[in-house]
Formats: sequence, structure tokens, C-alpha cells
Amino acid sequence: MSIEVKDLSFRYGKIVALEGVTMRLGEGAVGLLGPNGAGKSTLLRILLGFLAPERGEGKVLDYDIRRDQALIRRAVGYMPESDCFVAGMDAVTFTAYFGELSGMPRQEAMKRAHEVLFYVGLGEARYRLLDTYSAGMKQRLKLAQALVHDPKILFLDEPTSNLDPTGRAEVLELIRDIATNKSIQVILSSHILEDIESICASVVILNKGRLAAEGRMDDLRAIRYSLYELRIKGDEAAFRRELEARGCRVDETEDRLIKVYMPEGADRMDLFRAAVRTGVQMRSFVKSRTSLEDLFAGVVGVD
Amino acid sequence: MAVVREKGYAHWDGSLAGRRFPWLPITRTGIRLAFRKKGFKLALASAFLPAFVALGGLYVSERLEDFKGLVQSNRALLKIDPAYFQLFLTGYPLYFILIVVLSFAGAGLVAEDLKHNALQLYFARPLSKRDYVLGKVSVVAFFVILLTGLPWILLVAFKLIFAGNLAFLAAYPWLPLSILGQTALLTLFFGSYVLLLSASSRNTRYVIVLIFGVFYFSSVLSAILRGIFRSPAMILFSLPENLRQAGAALFGGKLPHAVPVVWSFLVLAGICALAVAVLARKVRSVEVIK
Amino acid sequence: MTAVISAVKLSKWYGNVLGLNDVSLEIEAGITGLLGPNGAGKSTFMKLATGQLKPNIGTVAIHGRRTWNAPDLFRTVGFCPEPDAFYEDVTGFEFVAGLLRFYGFPKKEIGERADRALDIVDLSKDKDRLVRGYSRGMRQRVKFAQAIAHDPEVIILDEPLSGLDPLGKRKLIKLIKGFKEEGRTVLVSSHVLPEIEALTSRVVLLHQGKVLAEGDVPYIRELIEAHPHMISVRSSDPRRLAARFVGDPAVLKMTFGADGRTLVVETRNRDHLFGGLTAAVVESGIEVEEISSPDDNLQAVFEYLVGK
Repeated sequence: MSIEVKDLSFRYGKIVALEGVTMRLGEGAVGLLGPNGAGKSTLLRILLGFLAPERGEGKVLDYDIRRDQALIRRAVGYMPESDCFVAGMDAVTFTAYFGELSGMPRQEAMKRAHEVLFYVGLGEARYRLLDTYSAGMKQRLKLAQALVHDPKILFLDEPTSNLDPTGRAEVLELIRDIATNKSIQVILSSHILEDIESICASVVILNKGRLAAEGRMDDLRAIRYSLYELRIKGDEAAFRRELEARGCRVDETEDRLIKVYMPEGADRMDLFRAAVRTGVQMRSFVKSRTSLEDLFAGVVGVD
Repeated sequence: MAVVREKGYAHWDGSLAGRRFPWLPITRTGIRLAFRKKGFKLALASAFLPAFVALGGLYVSERLEDFKGLVQSNRALLKIDPAYFQLFLTGYPLYFILIVVLSFAGAGLVAEDLKHNALQLYFARPLSKRDYVLGKVSVVAFFVILLTGLPWILLVAFKLIFAGNLAFLAAYPWLPLSILGQTALLTLFFGSYVLLLSASSRNTRYVIVLIFGVFYFSSVLSAILRGIFRSPAMILFSLPENLRQAGAALFGGKLPHAVPVVWSFLVLAGICALAVAVLARKVRSVEVIK
Repeated sequence: MTAVISAVKLSKWYGNVLGLNDVSLEIEAGITGLLGPNGAGKSTFMKLATGQLKPNIGTVAIHGRRTWNAPDLFRTVGFCPEPDAFYEDVTGFEFVAGLLRFYGFPKKEIGERADRALDIVDLSKDKDRLVRGYSRGMRQRVKFAQAIAHDPEVIILDEPLSGLDPLGKRKLIKLIKGFKEEGRTVLVSSHVLPEIEALTSRVVLLHQGKVLAEGDVPYIRELIEAHPHMISVRSSDPRRLAARFVGDPAVLKMTFGADGRTLVVETRNRDHLFGGLTAAVVESGIEVEEISSPDDNLQAVFEYLVGK
């Protein structure tokens, strides 16, 4: 378990930022979600070793969150949300500089900077001044400085903001690669649920300073065994009649998605048989799961 | 059997060590960035001019007979004693030179980081606020020492070389200490002054204006106040004058103003304290994550 | 259907830099997504459509009236720009009400409208706080409020969901969809394609100042010949399923997934393949868990048309 915390609490004056947060994060990428003001940034500050909690204890990579804060920061990489760079430098100098500040010897930092810049896709541009970088390039640069010292945990704060669709896809691919292949624990904080769905294996949802939900994505997004979502081409009316005759309830949403509620113990092959009988093509067939958005709404309790 | 390396991210098998001075890269980078600025090298080179003039004066004074014709009326100027050093090390010309050089090298030290949000990158490292400030202050210290302490200790050495004996040192044994003291004073003051102003704004150009402006405006202010109140104590409002007072005390020379020197030291210490306060507020590691 | 926003041979450049190059578009009522890489011309188009810029060549008109130099056009158009530019020292209410004054509403009505708009975006309890103290999401919502406060018929939104948390996004999406029901015209630009998909399936794709594609996403996908369609089937026995299709000339490529359960088939003739698939499932008795079309979405369309 790379992160274990118990009963974390913190207040800014009278404002309760975190209250009694207990969790254990281990394998796989973790998504951190919550409405604004839910306490995500405070939690991140504590986990990254900037802030000591008022109450509670924990370990990040076996380092105590109160006593070993500097050690935590050495082993952790942070990709901030807001724009940040140092003017007058080129990418290699920038990345190597922060590698050095993390504790790498100068030559090592320089070598690593080159490697990491290639990895994030800035290889060609690595000698150019940062002032000339586009928004997408600055985003990748932030990722590079987070990776240069080979951290064991990587915190990413809204990594795809300000990127155009191609840039988003590429950065997500990079993160996916890091999360799955490189044995680095990735913690992703984002408001874009689709990003979290596509990368993270588990989620942590905070609301009003408390833990609202935590667990593996598959477990939380309850699979509703008897509900299937279909798209077909063909004689829809006939298909519906067939299904209803077998005791299924059939609904259709406005964009022509057909929801079929199957009775207890029914065989899903029956759906296909019904399709063949009515000459209908089955074009999309998915077991219904709560979307992350619905889970979020349900857990955060608003709306 | 050869290993095929895959393209992509490879782990680094080195180890991250704590170094004794974790802030050294900050200093080194600050110095390098200063040199990259246009015109800086010229400014720095010009800044050594007074030292060369002083060197020339030292040489001439040693070889007075050779220059007899030239220096008939200027005999007094060429008496080499602590006052000679004091003249160069505590005057307006030196302050001006330092301010020009530090505008290049120091104005943006904190301002640029504030403007571009770089603080969050610094503090995501095992770096404390103290380390950050030390690293930045060291950039200012580097240039101040380079322009004051270093050349002036060398000048003492040159004097001894030109004279061929240690008589000078025997006559004024505490001169090197005065020089060191003055260097320390200037380093502490300018370190505080420049960082204080650099942390007060996100705009480097504005900081440069402040660096010049506050320094020289304080003189103007004190002159005005002296005119109104007719009291020599008003010089305490002027930063350059306080520096001169303190410098004079360090060289054992006559105080330029009829004000107890301890007040000047207090004013200068006040600037340092103010700098510490402002830096403590502006350089906040907790705000790394909003 | 008549177009609400129509552009004819619209071109705009800034010195050397080309913003839009010979763009002709007809945007109808309802929600249309505007997408493209950075620098494709989206903001330029929006600014031209809202009359903030003058076209170099060509025209852009709303309901037949040219947008340049038509100040009263603003009454029917609401614009929510992307950058965060505010007068910091006013309250949220003052901000919205202040902008309403330009439309010539009577004073009492301004207050009511501002209140209503702020209520819609859920800023009622913060409306008397200074904008300076607003969070990013709140600033976004106040921008949105000013765009709708004067009840415009045409609403142009540039990255309206950025900075909002998932619930905020959900609310705004519902709101925008509501506009469609009311018969208004909405043009939305965003980089986050899933968010556009949640709003509409009608898009305009810009690239390097030109229109690359226009219309319904499935329709556009159909037209992309260079990329055959992908059909993904997850089942208990992908290889046995594949065996049934190996001989079919409509199948161009088959790939097996690393999970040992997925089969991806590429074809240009989906009708044929889906017909065969449904029958094949029943005949073979293979347990099928999921059938989907992984590249039948906006992201794939975007990548195929624009991607490197």
C-alpha cells in the first residue's frame, strides 16, 4: 500500500477542510474527485508533505506524513494544474534544474532530463526557450519535471486542461502508459470524468471534507445484472414485441438507445435469438453500469 | 546476450541524496540567468572600473617620484590609508554600481517566480522556505562580494606587493577586517533590500524601478526633512546616508553626520527584518496546491 | 431548415496570420459543436459571428443580418468568451446587471433579469460578493449568466464548462439542452470532446482555418473512407467467433485483445457484418458480453481527420 492514512483532519481557522478521512491506496491509478471546496487540495497538500494534519496520522511510501515530509517530497512527483515555468531557460535546463533540486547529481539530472523530455514528446523542442512554448508544450513540460527524478508516486492535477483534443489524447496515453506499465503509483485529480474513467482503477470521492466514496471503479459502478443497453437496426417494433413477450421490460431513450430489463434468471442469449427471429441487427450490446457521473451525483448527494 | 531497450520511460537507478546545501542549484541558476541578460556583462565589467582606478592610484602613490610633475597639487589625494579605502567603499558611486548590477541580477529573483507560479515547483521538492531564500540571497551576495570584498582585499594585497613590504599592514592591521565588515554590511543590506522588493511585485521592471526609486527617493526625502526640521537626525531616512555612516564607523573614520552611528545600524537592521517578514509572507510553500 | 447563423466565403486574417480561410457554413437552430485543434479558427469564427471582428472577405450573418457593426444585434446574441476577464471590484450581481444596461432594458427589469440569470447558474447566494473572491467555477458561471441574462435567441459559448466540477458541468449541460428545447440556437466550442458529445451530435470541425467536416457525427464517420469501421466483440471464445468470419471478404482485419476475450473486426460494410454477427452468435452459442463500435465517436472522428 503506497498510501495509508487514518482519521485525517484539518481546519483553516473555522473552515473544516478535512474531517476524519481514512483510506488506503495501493495498486493501480487512483482518481481523486470531488466538488470544488471538497478538500481535495488540502488532502493533496497533506499527502505531498506540505501540511501536517491537525489530527490523524498516515504514511506515504512508508514515510510518516508528519515527520518525514521532506523525504516524501523527494520521492513524489507533482504536476500542478496552473501554468508554471521559469523564464529565460530552455526545457533541458529547466528539467535538469528541478531534477537537481530533488536531489539528483548534476550530470545525472541532465541526462535524465533529455530522456524524460523525449518521453513526453518534447524531444525536438528541448533546446528552445520556454517562453516560446505553446500551452500544450508547457503542459508536457510540467509532466517532465514531475518525472525527472523517477518518483514512486505521481500526483497529477488536471493534467489535460487547456489541451486540444489531440493533445488530450496524447497526454492521456502517456499517463495510461505510466500508470499501467511503469510501476509508478498515479493519483489523478480531475473534473473530467471521462479521463478518470479511462485511466483509473479506483476512485476516491471527497465531499465537504469527508470521504464520500472509495473503492475500485468496478465495485463502485454497480453492474446492474439485468439491465442491458442496446442499439439495433431493423424492425424495432417487432423486436420490442418479442422481448416483451418474454417478460422483459423495454424502454427507449431519446437518442435511440434501447434499455432492456430482463427478468430473473433470463438468458441474455434470448436477446440475440429475438433479434435473429425479427431480422434485426444487434449493433451495440452493453451491460448497464452506473456511469461515473451518476455515481458522483449519487454520492455527493446534490441534484 | 544484448538487452534490447524499449523506447519509452525507463526507471532511473540512481539514488536521491540529500546534499549539504540543497539550495546551491538555485544560486547557480540565478547567477547563470543574470549573465544571460542583455547588457549584463557590460554592466558588470564597468562595475570593476573604480577598482581599477583605485589600483592605478595605489601604483601612482608608490611611484610618486616618477609622477612628480603630474601630482603636485594632488598630493593629498594620494595618501593611502584606510580613508582611501573608505572613500571607494562607502560612496555614492559604489552604491550606484551595485544597484545597477543588482537590477539585472536580483530584481527578478523572486518576482519572476511569483509571476510564473514557479514556487509550486520548488516546494514540491525537499526544499524548505529557508533553503529557497538562502539560495536566492546567495545570488545577491555573490555579486556584492564580487564587486566589493574580493577586489578590495586584492587591492590590499597589491599595495603590499607594490610597496615591497608589509609596512602598510603593520600600520593598519585592522584594515582587512574593516573591508570584510563593510562587505558583510553591504551584502546583508543589499541582500535584504533587493529580495524585499523582488518579493513585493510580480513585475520585474517595476521592481527595478523600485530598487532605484526607493533608494534615491529616501535621500530626497531626508534632504527635504532636513530642510524643514533642520535636524541632522533626518539623515536616518536616507538609505545611502545610513550606509555611509555605518561604513565610516567600520573604517574608524570620521562620521559624515552628527548622529550616533548606532541609529544607522538600527535602520539597516530594520530593513533586514522587514525583508524577512515580507519573504515569510510571500514565499508560501503551502499554497503550492490551491 | 433555415440557417440561423450563416457564413459565406468568410475569411479573416491578422497581418500574416490566417484566422479563417474561405469558410462557408450554415448553422441551424439547436445545439452545434464547434471543434478543432488550437489555432484552427474557432475563436476567430465566434468573434466574427458576434460582430467583434470585421471579416476581410465574405460575410457572416445572423438571421440574414450581417454581424459587423450591428450593435443591436447583441440583443439576440449572447456570448460567453473563454478567457477570464473581469472587473474584479464589482459583485456578481453588479457585473451581470451592468452589462444588461447596454441592452436598453428598463432599470427594474435589469435587476430581475440579473437575479434570474444568477439563480439559473446557482450563484444566488454569492451574487453580492466581489468577483475578486470567486472561485474559478464561480467565475465561469457568472460569465455564463451574463451571456443569457438578456434572453438571447442565439447563444455562443467558448469552453463553457472549463473549471467546473462534474456536478456544475452536469447542471450546465442540462441547461444548454433546455435551450435547445426552447428553440434557441447554441454554438458550443470545447476541447473536451466527450462534453460536446453529451450536448449534441451535430458538429463543425475546423482545421487550419477551413471547415474539414460538418454534420452529424455518425454521418461524418460514414464518410471517412480512409478508416474502415471497427467493431469490438467481447465474448467467452473470441477465436471461435473469429473463425466464422475469417472467410468473409467484407472483413478487412481482425485483432485479438490482450485480455483474451476481445475480438476487433474492421470492415467497410457494417450492415453485412452486423447481420452476420447476430446470426453467428445465436448459431454458435458463444456467450457474448459486449458489442461496441470503438471508433464511432467524436474523438475517433477528430483523430482520423486531424490527427498526425
